[in-house]
Amino acid sequence: MGVEEKAFLVGDNPFHGISHLSQERSRIRGDTPTNPEYAAKLIQISLENGANGFMFSVSEKTLSILNFLKKNGDINRLSLYAIIPYAYEYVRLASKVGGVPGLAKKVVKQIAFSGNFNAVALGLKGVLKADLGSLVKTYLAYEISRIRSSAGKQAELNSVILHQLVTDMCLGFNLSWIFRLYVDWMLKAGLKPGFNTGNFALLVKKFKEWEISLKDIVIAAPFNKIGFQMVPSKEECEKTLAELPKPNVLAISILAAGYLKPEEAIDYIATLPNIKGASR
Amino acid sequence: MAEHDDCTLKLHAESAGDLNLKVAVVGMGKMGLLHASILNAIPEAELAALCDKSFLIRKFLKKLFKEIAVVNSVDKLSRFDLDAVYITTPIALHYPIAKTIYTENIAPNLFIEKTLASNFKESKELCELAQNSGGVNMVGYMRRFAVTFQKAKNLLEEKAIGEITSFKAYAYSSDFYGIEKGSKHGTSNIGVLRDLGCHAVDLALWFLEELKVERAKVEPIVSRNVEDSAKVKFTASNGVVGELDVSRCVGKYRMPAVGFLIKGSEGTISVNDDELEMSLNSGKSCRWFRHDLHDTVEFWLGAPEYFREDNHFVKSVLHNGSAEPDFQKSAKVDRLIDEIKVKAG
Repeated sequence: MGVEEKAFLVGDNPFHGISHLSQERSRIRGDTPTNPEYAAKLIQISLENGANGFMFSVSEKTLSILNFLKKNGDINRLSLYAIIPYAYEYVRLASKVGGVPGLAKKVVKQIAFSGNFNAVALGLKGVLKADLGSLVKTYLAYEISRIRSSAGKQAELNSVILHQLVTDMCLGFNLSWIFRLYVDWMLKAGLKPGFNTGNFALLVKKFKEWEISLKDIVIAAPFNKIGFQMVPSKEECEKTLAELPKPNVLAISILAAGYLKPEEAIDYIATLPNIKGASR
Repeated sequence: MAEHDDCTLKLHAESAGDLNLKVAVVGMGKMGLLHASILNAIPEAELAALCDKSFLIRKFLKKLFKEIAVVNSVDKLSRFDLDAVYITTPIALHYPIAKTIYTENIAPNLFIEKTLASNFKESKELCELAQNSGGVNMVGYMRRFAVTFQKAKNLLEEKAIGEITSFKAYAYSSDFYGIEKGSKHGTSNIGVLRDLGCHAVDLALWFLEELKVERAKVEPIVSRNVEDSAKVKFTASNGVVGELDVSRCVGKYRMPAVGFLIKGSEGTISVNDDELEMSLNSGKSCRWFRHDLHDTVEFWLGAPEYFREDNHFVKSVLHNGSAEPDFQKSAKVDRLIDEIKVKAG
C-alpha cells in the first residue's frame, strides 16, 4: 500500500462479540460473527468493497482468522494493523490465576514454550535482572512471532499498535521511557509503531514534551460526529489533530459504536485533517 | 460529615489555590495500577508511595517509578506524611490494612476498593475508626459513577415512574463460564457476591435506601469453598419487593454486567452499564445510551467511571469533606451479603 493511500480498515470488535453501544446487542447478535471462518469471509467481502486493511487485537480468535485469510489468499491484499496485548484476555486471565503475579507466571510459561529462543533468552535476562526493558522487548518479539506464524511471511504487517489500556496507563504514569523504547524497537524491527489511546490530545501533548517524533508513528483514536469517547472533548481532539505534522491518525469509533448512520459518520470524518485512515 | 480541621487534613499546599493531595496506593494488582495511574493524572493529586508485599512486584515498581517510593508494608507509609491512602488489595486484607492506617495515624482519608471488608463485623469496626479519624472515607463502588445508573437515580428521585413497587437486578460475568468443576483455574477465594454481586446490592441500596433479605440461595458451581451464583429475594419499605440474580458462570458476558428492571406506579426503568430505557404507563418511552449522557472525562482509563470516582474522592478531600459512597453506606452492602449467606444456610 502506498504511503499516501488512505487506510480503510475492518475492525475486529464484532468478531470478539464486542459492542460499545450495548453489550446486550452483541449478545443478541449471536455467535456467528465470532466464528473465525465467517469473520474471514466478512473481511473478504469488505476487501471487494474497498477495504484494504484489517485492524485486530492479537488473540487466538484473530490469529485463526488470519489463518483462514492466508489459506484463501486474501492476506496478500491486506495491510495488517495488530493491537497488542489483547488486554481483555489478560485482565480476565488475571482474575482466574491469582492476579498480576499469577498472570505474569502464565505469560512467561507461554513465551517459554513458544519456541522463540531469542525471546526466551531476552526474557530470562529480564527476569533475572528485573530489567523491564528486556521483558517488554521479549513480549513484543513473542507477539510479533505469533502474528507472523499465523499470517505467513508474505503478509504485510504495517503497524503494531500498543493497546489502549497499556498506552493510557503508561500515559497516566508519565512513563516516557516505555514509549521511547517501544518506538525505537518497532522502528528497528521495520514496523510502524502505533498507539491506541482514549486520551488523544494528552498523548500528542506528552509526545511533544518528550520529543518523541509524531512523524514516525500512527495513533488510533476515537473520532466521530458526536464526540463519543473523545477525551477531554471533541473540540480539543479536533484542535490537536489539526496541529499534527502529517496524516498519521487512524480514526476509530467513527460510527460511535453504531450510534451514527454510516453516511453522517463518513461526512464528518471526511472534514478532518491528518486522518491516515479509518477503522470500522 | 464535619469539615476537616487542621489535624485531620494535612494538605500539601503551597498556596490556597494550589492544593495537592499526597496519596499512597496499597496493593499493586490490576486495580492498584489503574487507580495509581488515574491519580497520577489528576493535577491535584500527588502519588507519593506504592506498597505491595510481593518482592518481585516491588522490584519492578522501583525500576518503573524513580520518583515514587515503593515499600513492602503499610506501617512504612507513616514516613510520607500522607493525606490519603487507597487500599486495592484482596478483600480479606482491607480490614487489617485500614485498621493499621487509622490506628497508626498514617493518613486520615481512606479509599477502599469494594467491598469495604470481608464481613459486616469488620465493616462496622472500620466505620467507627473512620468516624474517629474525622477524614473522608469512600468505597470504590464505581457503578454509581456510570452515567446510565446516575440517570436512573435522578429519574427515580424525580419520581419519573411514580413510587417504586418492585425491581429485578442481575450481575453476570463469564469469568468462570465453561470451566470444569474442581479446576484450579476456576477456584477463587472470594465468592461472587463480594466479587460482583456487591455492585448490584450497592445500587439497589442507592436506589431504595433500605433492603431486607427474605430468601436466598447460593451455590458453588466450579469453586470449592465459595459461591459462584446467588439468587435473592428482598423486601423494602412500602411493600417494595426485589429479586437479585448473580452468577459468574453465564455465557456471553465477556465483561461483567449489572442491570436493573425497576417497576413503578407510573412506568418502568430498565438500566444497565450501557443504556437506560424508561417506559411510562401513558405510552411514552425514552431511551438513553452513554452517548446521550455526556459520558466524557478529563482522563480515560478503563472506563470513565473510574476517573469520576477518583476525582470525586480527591475533590471531596480537598473541598467538601465528604464522599459517596462512604463507609457507613458501604457497610450496609456487607451486612446484606452476610444476611444473604445466613438465609441461604
